[in-house]
Amino acid sequence: MTCDEARLLIGADPGATTPALEEHLAACAACARFRDEMRSLDADIRRALERPPDIARPRSGRQPPAWRQWALAASVVLATLAVLGVWLLRPSDTLAREVVAHVQAEPQSWLATQHVSAQGITHALRGAGVALDITSDKIMYAQSCWFRGHYVPHLVVQTARGPVTVLILRHEQVRARRTFHEAGMTGVIVPAEQGSIAVLARGAGDLEELAGQMQHDVHWLPDAR
Amino acid sequence: MRNSEPGSPVSSIGGRLPAADADAPITRLFESMRPDLLRFAHWLARDRAIAEDIVQEALLRAWRSRDALKDPSAARPWLLTIVRREHARLYERKRLELVSLDEVVETQASPRFSEPGGELFALRHAIMRLPIEYREPLVLQVLGGFSTEEIARELALSATAVLTRLFRARNKLRVICGLTAAPDVPARENPP
Repeated sequence: MTCDEARLLIGADPGATTPALEEHLAACAACARFRDEMRSLDADIRRALERPPDIARPRSGRQPPAWRQWALAASVVLATLAVLGVWLLRPSDTLAREVVAHVQAEPQSWLATQHVSAQGITHALRGAGVALDITSDKIMYAQSCWFRGHYVPHLVVQTARGPVTVLILRHEQVRARRTFHEAGMTGVIVPAEQGSIAVLARGAGDLEELAGQMQHDVHWLPDAR
Repeated sequence: MRNSEPGSPVSSIGGRLPAADADAPITRLFESMRPDLLRFAHWLARDRAIAEDIVQEALLRAWRSRDALKDPSAARPWLLTIVRREHARLYERKRLELVSLDEVVETQASPRFSEPGGELFALRHAIMRLPIEYREPLVLQVLGGFSTEEIARELALSATAVLTRLFRARNKLRVICGLTAAPDVPARENPP
């Protein structure tokens, strides 16, 4: 038996013995000392195993610092408010931006000086499912424009405060009146009988009265969707 | 308590077993083993609450299979084996979260190594920190009284592999106790 074999047997079970092991130990002082040490250690192991340590697992790992908990709570509140804000504001904000962008893309619409013919108005209202109470001599610009997946009437109406753009948005629902100021324009989007109506003017000014008038002057035709 | 079998004496193992029925001797025998089983399960699971669950489940299994225990004198190794298998099953089934023992909270005062009891304290924690492949055969051997062959059978290892694991377990503990580690032995982990 070699020293390695003897130490394997001793280490595996210090209390066990075999004739071959005893023969080796009688001739090897180092292995004999190793067995003495291991028997002593084994007695301690036996005593140690009699009582497991009284330990408790933490419920969720290390406790994070207090500031981190506050920061986490604050970020949750902010995230919630941000999501809520986006949810509440996003449709009309986005719609207003797209209306402004559309009007910006047709700058010539503000510059018309002659009223649109009845045929031109009919063409602009084609497929929109609306009729207008506005006299044709006040309409300076009328186009049927592609907007958000539909053709919508894009009109410029001459008023006492100058030209005002009107977009009749049958397919855009808004819950409440929404005013906006962007790109040098003032606008309002108001809910209508079906869809909504956007009214824009250059510069600042009150469009409430005009928007109310447009709500009155636009007639929604049935079965036009 | 994870489980219980209504009407069985063992269903009240979390409390105490009623003795006044035909199975009273066996329930008393099981009950007398409970501290041993709990200690054994605690060393395997390293968590008192989980150990209690394991023992509860194991005693229920043992109760259902009590007819298989022909010799009451063999009850202890029989129950220890059931506890060990229940522990293995629990970890396979639940894949319990492994928590570093560096993060657990010591609920008793920790004496210094040189103080009375300090060596045992350090040894207990060193045993707890042994990987399961070393801790399990050591606990089976020292607490359970299992022979090398019995451990090999239970763990589906060769006897040589068990010897190697036991040697390495003790060799790691030697170092904790300030002794020089013996030269390692070649790994012999082949199953029989």
